[in-house]
Amino acid sequence: MFQTNGKKLVGLLLAAVMVALWGAGAPMAGAADEKLDKAFDALKTYDWGTDRSVLKPIEEAIVASHKDAAAKKKLEMRLAEALKSNVSQAAKDYICRQLSLIGSADCVPAVAELLTDEKLSHMARYALERIPDEEAVAALREALGKTSGKVKVGVINSLGVRRDAKSVEALTALLADQDGEIASAAAASLGAIGTVESAKALTEFQAKAPEKLQLAAADACLVCAERLAAAGNKAEAMALYKLLAKSEIKHVKLAATRGMLALAGKKEKPTEKQ
Amino acid sequence: MNHRRGKGPREPAFEGRESEASRQTVRSRTPTTRRRFLASSLGGMLAAGKAPYLLTSTALGGEGRAPSSERITIGMIGLGGHGLGHNLAGFLNQPDAQILALCDPDRARVDEALKVCQKRLGDSFTCQCTQDWREVIARPDIDAVMISTPDHWHVPISVAAIRAGKDVICEKPTLTIAEGRILADTVRRYGAVFQTSTEDRSIPVYIRMAELVRNGRIGQLQRIRVQLPGGPAQPGNPQPKPVPDGLDWEMWLGPAPWAPYREGLHMAHWRWRRDYSGGNLTDWGAHQLDTAQLANNTERTGPVEVEGTGRRHETGLYDVFYEFHLVYRYANGVELYVDSGGTGLRFEGTDGWVGNKGWCQPLEASDPKILQMPIGPNELHLEVGPGEHRNFLDCVKSRRDPYFPAEVGHRCSTIAHIGNIAMELGRRLRWDPDKEEFLDDPMANQMRSRAMRHPWSI
Repeated sequence: MFQTNGKKLVGLLLAAVMVALWGAGAPMAGAADEKLDKAFDALKTYDWGTDRSVLKPIEEAIVASHKDAAAKKKLEMRLAEALKSNVSQAAKDYICRQLSLIGSADCVPAVAELLTDEKLSHMARYALERIPDEEAVAALREALGKTSGKVKVGVINSLGVRRDAKSVEALTALLADQDGEIASAAAASLGAIGTVESAKALTEFQAKAPEKLQLAAADACLVCAERLAAAGNKAEAMALYKLLAKSEIKHVKLAATRGMLALAGKKEKPTEKQ
Repeated sequence: MNHRRGKGPREPAFEGRESEASRQTVRSRTPTTRRRFLASSLGGMLAAGKAPYLLTSTALGGEGRAPSSERITIGMIGLGGHGLGHNLAGFLNQPDAQILALCDPDRARVDEALKVCQKRLGDSFTCQCTQDWREVIARPDIDAVMISTPDHWHVPISVAAIRAGKDVICEKPTLTIAEGRILADTVRRYGAVFQTSTEDRSIPVYIRMAELVRNGRIGQLQRIRVQLPGGPAQPGNPQPKPVPDGLDWEMWLGPAPWAPYREGLHMAHWRWRRDYSGGNLTDWGAHQLDTAQLANNTERTGPVEVEGTGRRHETGLYDVFYEFHLVYRYANGVELYVDSGGTGLRFEGTDGWVGNKGWCQPLEASDPKILQMPIGPNELHLEVGPGEHRNFLDCVKSRRDPYFPAEVGHRCSTIAHIGNIAMELGRRLRWDPDKEEFLDDPMANQMRSRAMRHPWSI
């Protein structure tokens, strides 16, 4: 009897504590939600020069979502929705920065829409370069065919940062682009990707690159050689170094010699930390 | 840079702590073509008695100048307060440095720099004046560039210059961890001479401090306490303003996210904005943390853990941490405390402490006897450099690593960067200095790099 009453008493006490905690916590959570709602509302009118403290609850919620996948997802979707709305460039800039931290494949379509916009393409890449999902890289790859000029150069650069082996074929074609900046960027990204296929493309490019692109071609080959060596493809790396050792550009020739010595184990080994 | 610091006394030429790479570099046996050409052709002509009439006294040296064949030709990129007042002045003081180009996106700064050169070298002095740094590194007759831009331009210009075959002296710090890694790898790849430009390694008190610690004069090192200035005190005005005449704002922004011109950025206060800098934690950190790393013998690695708190202005333009309190832990057990609120260094060991309060202030110790302790012939001796500009010129000629090479500078900046990231995320972070990545924290890892605005890249 006493035991039963005791259990009931403990149960009642626990229930009371939970109710008390809920009662205390609910207003706090409610207040936080309210602040967050206000912050998202503020995004609608946010612009350069606006008091940025109105957006702080969004940043706080992102930090707080570190180990809360559901909260993170909810934030991501709200930000993606806001990105699709008719907000200012400053607001979209802000949203892309936040999505660069918590974005996933789910927000990629909204971000990718901005890739072709000269004013917003960079901030879209700011997010996409960081979003780890394959969909982010696929969006960049797809944007290659939809962009031109400097915007395209930016997309090419991002594919290099992501070391996207699937874009080797498209980048190889761009080596022949009439726009020197595009061809140069394509070479750099092929070097950064550093696969056997990209090495093959760069080898051919190195042999026929116009004078104004010779430095870019050589540097891409050097980077590619290091990445090949780091991946264990020493023969391919050595072939690139031997090619560059014939260069008439003195510091390229010396860099190739350094690379060959490193590859032969006679000096420091090329490191791969990117 | 918006602060002026004292200079260390001139010492005999710094020998440099030669890296394995630079000792074996092929390039060290191959002097720069321009100088070699001038030396051999002038030598040949003089020997044959065929020196042309147009050979001037300037070309031959004289008036405190080295002959042309001994001079390093330099392009000055970035002519703000530090670039003009400290670095241009510093190279003008070197008899074997010859300024060939002045570059800044602000035309007024270029004009001002030209006046400084003319005041020093005579009214007839002239050189390339441009607002586009690419024109400077495209010149085959320029041996080296001095980069004194805002931080967001440090690595992109450095890397482009090295790829073009130049040697580089560049203000610290880097902007991101990823950029620092690319810079250090590029320097190694080409065997370029690169100095992370600071004067600390030419200041006796910091070298002596590190030397005492490295030689066990305070016993086993346990804690390092670093104080750095905070700031900014005011939040700044975020209202966009018209771009001033003569300022190429697009070039000033470069790889940073586009933003309208605001008065509180150019020239002096860009440091308070995260898009362009990491605040005083990265700027002053590059000074004091360098001595900390040197004394802890961790120059080419870093801590394994960081946590801390900081405060930022919630309104206004500036968004860096103006107040910060960080604790780092190294694999060797040493703890590093970094706090805003002054300038100071203190190394605490099992047998005492050494340190100083204030920039370049005299050395203090738990026991005055520590200060007098000699360093024996078989112990580690750290050399006091001859000033950053002199050290750089000497290294361009010898092909040795300067006293603050790229890898060491990158590791130093990284300490500040991971501190900023830990404060932004508000949590303790574990860091793998070998792989240069955070452990079990994808969000923190994503913050190691930033996409660059088109068309810029590294």
